[in-house]
Amino acid sequence: MRVYLLKRLLQVIPTIIMITLVVFVMMQSIPGDPVVAVLGEGYTEETAQKVRQEYGLDKPVLVQYFIWLGKLVQGDWGRSILSGRPVLTDVLLRLPVTLELIVLSMGVALLIALPAAIIGALRQNTWADYTATTVAMIGVSIPEFFIGVLLLLLFSFGLGGLLPSSGWVYLPGTCPTIVCSAGLWGNAQHVLMPAIALGVGRAAILTRLLRASMLEVIRTEYVTTARAKGLSERPVVFKHALKNALIPTVTVMGLQIGFLIGGAIVVETLFAMPGLGTFGIDAIIARDYQQVQGFALITAIAFVVMNLLVDFTYTFLDPRIRYA
Amino acid sequence: MRPRSLSVVIVVLTVFTWLVSMPALADAQTPKKGGTLRVSYGNDIANLDFHTASGYEMMWVAMNVGCGLVNITPDGKFVGDAAESWQMSPDGLLYTFKLRKNVLFHDGTPVDAAAVKFSIERLMNPETRSAMRPFYEPVHSVEVMDPHTLQVRLKHPYAFFLHMLAGYRTGLVIYHPGATQKYTLDDRRQGKPEALPGCGPFRLVEWVKGAHLVMDRFDKYFIPGQPLLDRVIIRVIKDPVTEMAAFKAGEIDFIASFSPEHVDTLRGQVPKAQFMTGKETTPMIFKMKVTNPKDGKPHAVERVPHPIFHDIRVRKAVGCFGVDRKEIVKIAFKGQATPWVGIIPPGTMETVDVNHMCPYDQAKAKALLTEAGYGPGKPLTFELLTSTEKSVFNVIATVIKEQLARIGVTANIKLVDKVTWMNTALEDGPWDAEVEDLLSLLTLDSNGYLSMVGARWNQSRHQDMKINEYYTRYARELDPAKRKVIAKEFVEYSADKLYWNTISGSPFFMVAQPYVKGYTYNAEFEVHWDTVWLDK
Repeated sequence: MRVYLLKRLLQVIPTIIMITLVVFVMMQSIPGDPVVAVLGEGYTEETAQKVRQEYGLDKPVLVQYFIWLGKLVQGDWGRSILSGRPVLTDVLLRLPVTLELIVLSMGVALLIALPAAIIGALRQNTWADYTATTVAMIGVSIPEFFIGVLLLLLFSFGLGGLLPSSGWVYLPGTCPTIVCSAGLWGNAQHVLMPAIALGVGRAAILTRLLRASMLEVIRTEYVTTARAKGLSERPVVFKHALKNALIPTVTVMGLQIGFLIGGAIVVETLFAMPGLGTFGIDAIIARDYQQVQGFALITAIAFVVMNLLVDFTYTFLDPRIRYA
Repeated sequence: MRPRSLSVVIVVLTVFTWLVSMPALADAQTPKKGGTLRVSYGNDIANLDFHTASGYEMMWVAMNVGCGLVNITPDGKFVGDAAESWQMSPDGLLYTFKLRKNVLFHDGTPVDAAAVKFSIERLMNPETRSAMRPFYEPVHSVEVMDPHTLQVRLKHPYAFFLHMLAGYRTGLVIYHPGATQKYTLDDRRQGKPEALPGCGPFRLVEWVKGAHLVMDRFDKYFIPGQPLLDRVIIRVIKDPVTEMAAFKAGEIDFIASFSPEHVDTLRGQVPKAQFMTGKETTPMIFKMKVTNPKDGKPHAVERVPHPIFHDIRVRKAVGCFGVDRKEIVKIAFKGQATPWVGIIPPGTMETVDVNHMCPYDQAKAKALLTEAGYGPGKPLTFELLTSTEKSVFNVIATVIKEQLARIGVTANIKLVDKVTWMNTALEDGPWDAEVEDLLSLLTLDSNGYLSMVGARWNQSRHQDMKINEYYTRYARELDPAKRKVIAKEFVEYSADKLYWNTISGSPFFMVAQPYVKGYTYNAEFEVHWDTVWLDK
């Protein structure tokens, strides 16, 4: 098992390097001059030249990339072209918000998907199954921003501010700024609507997948054997069937993290959350190369690390991987 | 009870109620100290180097953290800021400013004439890269007479020198010489409080980009008793629906710039809210390019005519008679704007209504196009550039496309992000026509850097030196009556040539909760929270 874990860990490094290279080249290929955005009304050819030198934008692309990569390893992620703020500082400031949102929205997804899929599979072709699959279909079809707006209109606009419409309250003891509010209840209030908006779509996908997987598993011989041995339905479902049915679901959960990061951009913008999503979209719109690269890098790292964790989960769910 | 006794009881009760409520009513009118004003911005602050950053969001912070020499009131009067008095010599070439003696920077250092000289010279220095530099072109020298007296000598009379100091962009923001030299540009851009000790009513506490900016009351502010608020917190809420929900739920007290298309909705939701607006001071434009660089390289001195819009007949057909400004305002702004033709919008000083010069007249437009050689055999097609910065741009472009189709013209809309728009429209790139709104204009003079021949951002790239002559004559004329005549001539000339084509004013709205008191609305030019108090 140790060899397996080490192998997976080593595979992460070239993956991240490749991603950074791709992102860097893509950012360079976009037409337009970021210096215009930096200088705005203060633009002259001389000042533009100076800014290009200042940010190393006058050097060959590959050189720019290696300079950036070298600094990256030393913890210098560069400074935002527009604000001059260190990119790493801003990334670390915003990362916890997005991580919490992603983890909780995955939690929301599982909370909906697990019972819906189990009921759907165990009572196939009954009204309960039809309801679960119909709801799942609707969930897949509705985009996050629409669910977010509906929640906003209902709980913030309609019900007189039952839930806060925007902003963020940090978990106790995690305040990263001088002026900020922290509290468990406040945090829960702020994260609830965004997590639901982001999680519902994922729940729908997971429900469909898990239901199909469960249907397959409950027809296998070892489940029949378990029942024949006289086991009650609960251990049959949860210990024998669900654990095995979860393997393909966990794989998809790993892949869904990418979608969650993408969805976080929309949801964070809608709920004005100070997370990585808004950080990324602001950087992209402003062509703040340094910031976009920082965003892409942290996103890639998060994606890879979370998938790594998913792979590690396999070893718990499927002993064959553990002993391979 | 007999009727008479009942009347006596009612009278006594009424008098009693009135007497009891008197102190409360009086109290409601007395400004209260303390509290936090929660402001929302629809856009993020670019950075906090007040002398170089762009965007109103930064400017409104600069106006509260920093102080200048003078401010301007909504009715155009000048009031002293750090300067207690000022005098202009009869020839208009020498300005003498007397500074207040009790003005301090937030670190306790006194604001003196040397600090003002330092700030003006910093803005004039090309190395600073300030967008304000062109407006300081008339300044010959700045001299410190004594710690509280400053003289600014001009090369030639400049009628708008005080306007410029008060309200062009941020106006003059006095920088702390010591802190400016000690800290780097990056420190200021990042908004490190110690790098930005201003002399305004609020001191900067913290800026977290994309999240919030916090300013606290400066207790040693030079106006006794001000500011009234303990703290101002600015949050960025980009989505207007979220902004409305936050406002309705009482999570924010003041929306610094609210999108006009949502005004009616919010008014319906929060009827007691204060909606502040005025005549528009920002033009919504539908500009056409007049020349292109001869060698294809942007900003080339040698120019060639634009293949379509160099022809004044086509400009007039498309930009003047071919567009129905009233319909655009009705659809895009739900009627919340003024249809307009003149180069300066309806709310700008000395504006002139020349709407009669461009009535919606399809027949006239078609005739001009025929005269220019366009028709069914040779239909006119061009690209209409606009940006994603505001949704209203795209709506206007769509309405224009629809209107032009009625006269047989095809406008292909090209929607780009703001940076691409800047790279193309402002930087002499390849474009035919564009829809955008630009800066808020306090005076006609402040529009020069966007429309003079030779100005980097003269978007249409016209080469008509008469425009420059008008700007110069207008800015140098000290007699207001004569200046008004020049303004009228200028606006008419500009509308006739259509190097600059305005569609309407671009409305500006601020919204405040009913308990927010003491704010003086002065469009985008002056946003000060020092007199604001909360009647909660």
